[in-house]
Amino acid sequence: MKIILILLQLIFFIVVAPFLSGLITKIKNSLRMRKGQGVFQPYHNLIKLFSKGGVVSETASWIFKVTPFIVVSSTLTVALLVPVFILSSPLYRMGDFLAIIFIFALGRFFLALAALDTGSSFGGMGSSREMFISSLVEPALCLVVFSIFLQFGSTNISVFNGMHPVSVSSMVGAIALFLVAIAETSRIPVDNQETHLELTMVHEAMVLEYSGASLALIEIASYIKQMTWFFLIAQIIFPIAAPSSINLTGLFSWSLWYFARILIIVIAVALVEVSVAKMRLFRVADFLGFVFVLGVIASICAILGI
Amino acid sequence: MLDFLPQQLFLFDPLSLFFLFVIFIVCLPSAIYSFGYLKGEYSLGKIILSWFLLVIFVLSMAAVVTVGNVLIFLVAWEIMSLVSYFLVVFDTTHEKSIRAGAIYIIMTHIGTAFLVAAFLVMHKYAHSFDFMAIKNACLTMPAPTKDVVFLLLLVGFGTKAGIVPLHIWLPYAHPQAPSHISSIMSGVMIKTAIYGIIRFVIFLLGVNSSWWGVLILILAVISCLVGVIYALMEHDIKRLLAYHSVENIGIILLGVGLAMFFTSLGLSYLAVFSLIAGLYHLINHAIFKGLLFLCAGSVYKATGTRDIEKLGGLIKTMPYTAAYFLLGAMAISALPPLNGFVSEWLTLQAFFLGALNVTGGVKLFLGICAGLLALTSGLAAACFVKAFGITFLAQPRSHYAKEAKEVSLSMKAGMFLLSFLTVIFGLAAAVIMKLLVRVAGAAMGTDISKMSFSLNNFTLSPQVGKGIYLSVPLLALWLIVLGIAGFILYMLLGRKKTVIYKTWDCGYYKLGPRNEYTGTAFSKPFRIAFSFFLMPYRKTEKVRESFYHIKSFAYETHTTFVFKKYIYEPLIALVLKSAKFMRRIQPGSIHLYLAYIFSALLLLIIFMHKF
Amino acid sequence: MCWGLSQVFALFWEFSMQSIILFGVLVSTYLMVIAKRTPALIRSFRYQSFCLFLATVIIALREHELDLYVVAGLLFILKVVFIPQLLYRTIKKIKASEELGLFINPQLSLLWALGFTYLSWVFAVYLIGAHDAVQVIMLAIAFFVVLAGIFLMIFRMTALAQIIGLLVMENGIFLLASMVSGGMPFFVEIAIFFDVFVSVLIMGFFVYKINKFFTHIDVNKLSRLKG
Repeated sequence: MKIILILLQLIFFIVVAPFLSGLITKIKNSLRMRKGQGVFQPYHNLIKLFSKGGVVSETASWIFKVTPFIVVSSTLTVALLVPVFILSSPLYRMGDFLAIIFIFALGRFFLALAALDTGSSFGGMGSSREMFISSLVEPALCLVVFSIFLQFGSTNISVFNGMHPVSVSSMVGAIALFLVAIAETSRIPVDNQETHLELTMVHEAMVLEYSGASLALIEIASYIKQMTWFFLIAQIIFPIAAPSSINLTGLFSWSLWYFARILIIVIAVALVEVSVAKMRLFRVADFLGFVFVLGVIASICAILGI
Repeated sequence: MLDFLPQQLFLFDPLSLFFLFVIFIVCLPSAIYSFGYLKGEYSLGKIILSWFLLVIFVLSMAAVVTVGNVLIFLVAWEIMSLVSYFLVVFDTTHEKSIRAGAIYIIMTHIGTAFLVAAFLVMHKYAHSFDFMAIKNACLTMPAPTKDVVFLLLLVGFGTKAGIVPLHIWLPYAHPQAPSHISSIMSGVMIKTAIYGIIRFVIFLLGVNSSWWGVLILILAVISCLVGVIYALMEHDIKRLLAYHSVENIGIILLGVGLAMFFTSLGLSYLAVFSLIAGLYHLINHAIFKGLLFLCAGSVYKATGTRDIEKLGGLIKTMPYTAAYFLLGAMAISALPPLNGFVSEWLTLQAFFLGALNVTGGVKLFLGICAGLLALTSGLAAACFVKAFGITFLAQPRSHYAKEAKEVSLSMKAGMFLLSFLTVIFGLAAAVIMKLLVRVAGAAMGTDISKMSFSLNNFTLSPQVGKGIYLSVPLLALWLIVLGIAGFILYMLLGRKKTVIYKTWDCGYYKLGPRNEYTGTAFSKPFRIAFSFFLMPYRKTEKVRESFYHIKSFAYETHTTFVFKKYIYEPLIALVLKSAKFMRRIQPGSIHLYLAYIFSALLLLIIFMHKF
Repeated sequence: MCWGLSQVFALFWEFSMQSIILFGVLVSTYLMVIAKRTPALIRSFRYQSFCLFLATVIIALREHELDLYVVAGLLFILKVVFIPQLLYRTIKKIKASEELGLFINPQLSLLWALGFTYLSWVFAVYLIGAHDAVQVIMLAIAFFVVLAGIFLMIFRMTALAQIIGLLVMENGIFLLASMVSGGMPFFVEIAIFFDVFVSVLIMGFFVYKINKFFTHIDVNKLSRLKG
């Protein structure tokens, strides 16, 4: 039974994640008054990438070749830890919110190493910036987890499943988590996924050398990571309980609300991406300091009990 | 004065056995490693001398952690310091070794002086040098005296452990010692200082004031951050690792400090848990720091340089060393499923669970400390991406790296043993927790029969009823399974012909090693972000042929060593100034010296007349 | 101080010989203190040692101990005959000026010496009380000789003066020991004499060497032993 749930969850993530990314791009383009690419374009991209051959740099070693698999496996492991079908996640005995921070770090570590492996300046630059940003994200994230812990008494991710009162602390924590998700998924104002200029890319610089099926795997991993973050944030801000009645209309309205809240976050991300400009790297440090302060405020609110 | 003869010379309680085990698992691989390492470097006589010193060193450390008598403890402590000094200056041809040894021996003796003072105060109350007698006497010691003894012990053991600001000898001594000695020093010797703190403060002195734990927490957090920020700026592999030792001692002390804090508040369950987190990180750090130093030694032996800016591409010529270094780097960056991850997770959980049981402002303090711990682990990961990436990956940056060859079998065997232990201590976390509960219980003298931190042999559960679980074997299993799934996906869908070609060069066809990222460039964002602390300054030099054509450009950047410049140098200058002032009483005239003697005699006579 | 002198004259009737001898020691010490040239110093030292010899002989006659005769004999041979001769020879060899460099002029030195006498008398009174006048005076003179030796070492510039100061100090201690306790154990005395003999030989040699190297024996100029 558990295995079926796990497989279902995996397939759900792999299948739906590119759709969310396409959705964000579509919304952004609509806001920019363009027609742009279709919502299912990421799927077409992935199919194209899988059908192409790859080019591997001659300076690269086994780390370069192994990294896509490690990135995919770490992202999928986190995806397994997040409760999706309202029950607690099938592998809740495996880890908690703190473990998620470290599992993401595993993927990032290897991606940064692979970027240095190719010996190009772009790779080095990308990995240097990525490690810089991620090391500043970690305290903010830790403090948000702390505020959640103070409120709910456990770092288990399933603990804020189900209905819980929406307090000031969880609001502020969710906003901080939203900003952390923007940093982790390389969106404006931290990083621009659409360019390949050395001034403006962080994550793209790390994966510059990848091509073909390896690049497809890395792209899938980044979509799934994004989707994981959205699910986490949605669960904190818009709590939803198990469906009250099992009849069709009840189930329909429940699943509508279930997906609507993800949609709200997607729209929020798109709005943020369109409205602000990408920050200079050292201003990102200030930005992440602000997120840290938000985490502290969330903790204080949790301590005060509001 | 017969009280110096010990009634019970050795104290084999679980804490001592634990530390003996730590000593054993690091010294054995290092000893195996030293066969290959010393072979080409020194003459046979010197090798035999180094073995002799190594044996005495290991025995003295074993004595430090097992004796039950303060006087013998001091003797063993001194022997350990002296023998390690000889091992640090073993390479007497390098002037740097001598200087490093001088700084080391001075700092360690300052620490020992404080220890002697603390022991004398304890002896005054106990009238005996035996641990058990001291423990009984400390129950009746007045609180201000206890505070003073605690501070003396903290400074004394802190000098050996490398707590900021007493850490300055670490970056000098550890790089200069031969690599297997560095690994033992960094892996085990500084841990004996932690043993001292646990034994003397928690076990003997008994923690009653909460400000002790808070002080250690603050010092530990500062050590973490200072250690990792300086490590990021280093481009000498072994100095980098030495600064990381400072950082990890900070993390261990976070656990120990929390244990002391919770003991003073009476929360024994949490105290035991925090101490377990600290001890777990202790043994983990011993293993992976030992491994990293051995790998750094292999790199040094194969290439002849420790400067990572001159290395690169070693993963192709030294694949085993690279793999072991990667394991060590992953462990120290707290990546699952290795051992560093488990102990950092446990420390963070100790902070979180503790925050539930304290009042208001302290909760926030614990939360911010946890956040800063997360910051250091992020920075440590960044530092090791740099260390591993610049040293082993991409193309060789100089002829040193081009001519490297894989190292000999004994060195590989030593490194393999430690990396194997890294993996085991990560996967078997729950089993090890069960053993550590007994150690922590013995150290704190609490009843641990009802405490259990593991759900079964695979899952850790810090507090029953909270639903927090961590199962490292399961995590490792799923990581591997999903990785294989990804691989299968790759093979099924995407395996077309892969072409090997040059790195994309943006049209600039002369890409070479000079185009690669350097370590200094990698850490530049950190240098700028932390410039309020590092105070970097740079020097640039342009040589122009004409206004438009620059022939060469030299760029040099340095960071100011805050502790050296603002604490130690003024102190030393003050001591020298007062010594110079006192020199005036010795002008060189024999008559004046005789007059000193004479007037002293006269004064004595008059004195005697007065009294 | 006048009272002290009157005491001395009172004693003159009781223990005339002993008093004369002690008086002789005192006067020769004053002579040493005001000496301006090395031969004068050595001559006064000779007188002092001779008085010391006589004192020992008297004690030996009183106590009828063979050891004291031997000690007295050694004292005569070494300190009255041999060592001053050695010192004269050294002066001749080094051909340096016979000036004994003085930090303090003779008149002021005499005043200092009188002050030292008073101080040692006070100290002697403190030690053994004021009742037994003879013992007090003996002790006082012994202390004074020691102090005079130190004075010579500090306030005279040349190396020879320092040697002689040392010898005078040794005289004073010998006096102290024999006055207070009837002499030190025999072997100690022999050992001390031997030490003194060897030290003077060595120091004489060193003075010669110093002179050869530095062409002077002014110790004040040898000031490299700085902090």
